[in-house]
Amino acid sequence: MKPLHPRGWSLTVKIPLTITAVVVGVAVTIGVSMIAHDRARFQAVLVDKALLKARAVAATAPEALLRGDSWSLYQSLKQVAAPGTPGTQASTVITGMVLDAQGRVMAHLDPANNPLGLPFRPESRAERDLLDNALAARTPTVLDGAKALDGFLEGVVPMFADEKFIGTVRLRMSTTELAARNREAAITVLGLTLGFAAVGSLLGAFISRRMVEPLRGLAQGLESIGRGDLANVAPVAVREHDEVGMLAESFNRMTNELAEKKRLEQQVILNEKLAGLGRIAAGVAHEVNNPLGGMLNCVNTLKKRPDDPDLLRRYLNLLETGLNRIASTVRGLLVELHDEAAPKPCNLACLSDLKDLIGAEIDGRQVQLNWENAIDGETCLNCSCPNLQQIVLNLTKNGVQAMPDGGTLAFRSRREENKLVLEVEDHGVGISEQDQRHLFDPFFTNRPDGSGLGLWITFRLVQKMGGSIHVDSAPGRGSRFEVRLPLTEPGAAEAAE
Amino acid sequence: MRRILLSLAFIAAVIGASPAAGGEDPLRIGLTAVVVRENLRFFDRWGEYLSARLGRPVSFVQRRAYRDVMDMLEKGELDVAWICGFPFVQKRNPEFLELLTVPVYRGTPLYRSYVIVHRDSPYLGMEDLEGRVFAYSDPDSNSGYLVPRKMFQRAGLDPDRFFRLAFFTFSHAETVQAVADRVADAGAVDSYVWEFLVERRPELAGQTRVIQRSETFGFPPIVVRLGLDPALRARIETALVGMKHDPEGQALLRDLALDEFATYPPGLYEPIRVLAKAGTVVPPRAWP
Repeated sequence: MKPLHPRGWSLTVKIPLTITAVVVGVAVTIGVSMIAHDRARFQAVLVDKALLKARAVAATAPEALLRGDSWSLYQSLKQVAAPGTPGTQASTVITGMVLDAQGRVMAHLDPANNPLGLPFRPESRAERDLLDNALAARTPTVLDGAKALDGFLEGVVPMFADEKFIGTVRLRMSTTELAARNREAAITVLGLTLGFAAVGSLLGAFISRRMVEPLRGLAQGLESIGRGDLANVAPVAVREHDEVGMLAESFNRMTNELAEKKRLEQQVILNEKLAGLGRIAAGVAHEVNNPLGGMLNCVNTLKKRPDDPDLLRRYLNLLETGLNRIASTVRGLLVELHDEAAPKPCNLACLSDLKDLIGAEIDGRQVQLNWENAIDGETCLNCSCPNLQQIVLNLTKNGVQAMPDGGTLAFRSRREENKLVLEVEDHGVGISEQDQRHLFDPFFTNRPDGSGLGLWITFRLVQKMGGSIHVDSAPGRGSRFEVRLPLTEPGAAEAAE
Repeated sequence: MRRILLSLAFIAAVIGASPAAGGEDPLRIGLTAVVVRENLRFFDRWGEYLSARLGRPVSFVQRRAYRDVMDMLEKGELDVAWICGFPFVQKRNPEFLELLTVPVYRGTPLYRSYVIVHRDSPYLGMEDLEGRVFAYSDPDSNSGYLVPRKMFQRAGLDPDRFFRLAFFTFSHAETVQAVADRVADAGAVDSYVWEFLVERRPELAGQTRVIQRSETFGFPPIVVRLGLDPALRARIETALVGMKHDPEGQALLRDLALDEFATYPPGLYEPIRVLAKAGTVVPPRAWP
């Protein structure tokens, strides 16, 4: 359906069509006006000729009429009806006659069918009307017989003797030649029009090819860019330095710059990835290495003094503490190890337990807690309560720590459609944009005593619950963490059991 | 057009005759409807032939009507003329012309008047022409006016009322043309001209047929102006009569479809005079 509509046509079609239409339009207009002009001119010539010939007969006819000299009337009719000299425009005299005042035939070019001396009595109605007009004419007139009868023009010249009407000369010229000439002209114009149309479409095709080729290249290139496929954008050939050429040039420049930019971005991403990996490796190494040094010392001392039970007890405790620390580090890295094999739905009554836990965390600081829990106990979440509690605790802990000089910590929970929304907001130091990007990386911390695993664990937990977390923060203003977790219907939880 | 041709022919005749002429006055010969005047090249040749024998240029002068030629003869503008028997016998006072020679046609110096109609027309006799259109040649013509009128009268028909319309063509050949074109239903024509056209222009004369023949009359004669130098008159007569004796003259005679030019007494035209005068027809004598 769409290609049928002109808007869907290709420029390679539209441009030649437009040029052809313009050329044909101009050719037809000129041709038609030429034909019309030619026709009018030839008609005028024919009118003049019909009158001239009739006048030529009428010049000598009155005398012959009065003398009854039908023979010389007939001869002068024949003379004007004779074909013109070669080379001039031959226009045929169809018929001619000299009638007296009573309408009797005094001479006729077809004497056999129009006897002399008898009234001229044409059979057809149109001819009779024409005869009446001719006999009524008192000045030289041209009657147009093109409509009623076979195409002709009739020159009518009345004759007078002593101001008395004595008769009239009628001379009929064929207009078939006029028609033939017009046909010829029309054929010529048609031929020229077709020729021009052919030339116009060829020219249009050529021009449109030159114009559209770079545009098509541009379109394909833009499509590749839209797909994100910057590698396969072929440069558009620039042939001319017109508007299209300039467009192609800037397009080529743009694709090159885009490709370069993408390459640089990939480089940056790779660098950051490597940096993150390094940070993780360094974090692991640091977290493991720290207790490891003390533990090795303990082991060495115990090897030297294996029989000192007091030392053994003390060092075993130290060793246990160190190993626990390593274990907790590794657990923190492998969050999923905490989970039960299949998460169970829980109701959210456990959220209210958190208030006391957070209060314990705040204990002794100048921090005020705003607790707004809009969740009732019936709402269900597809996870275990400890995980949910850990998420909130980790976030509130961070909030408290971000406000060393005290302030207000806000906790809000609410339900938005089938999502549980948890918000933790502080008015502390805030997080720089640079740090926000690495906020959820493991071992990323700005605190000297921080492990850098709190937000990482939070992030992994939220991810596992199929939720999302994001931070809105600016240095000096404080931070607001928002966690969105999908809810399950209470009925669905029971049905699952 | 024809006038231009005629004047051209006149000039050509004058120029053509000039070597023999030496600036002398040309001998002017008038032509009338009795011959087929359109044959201009023939008259050029005849003019050359005659001027060579007369020692002076010869020019042929054509006029539409007999009357014009007669006027010119009277005024001395023509020296010689080939006229019809009817103008020849008309009474003149004083007389200003005399008979020179008479053409001999098919063995006799005689011809007739024919009434012709179109080949395809239904007319069989003169009575059938009532209410029709008739073509005469010249009001001063014997065969083209005088004789046919007498023939109609003898048949008890009034030629002035009998026809719907009558007109003059001022040429026997054009009378044939008028009947062939059906401008006229019938016409009166010189038998010599009609036979000549039947032979030379059958496509024209073949469209006509004769429905009435008159008795014979003296053939249109060649006359001279009275007062022409007798020596010149004799030379002209000798030249014309002598045409049958040399091949060039014989060829010219053949082109005219005549046997010869011969000398006859004016009494040859007596029947025409009687016809014109009394309306009765004198029985023709036999002429050798």
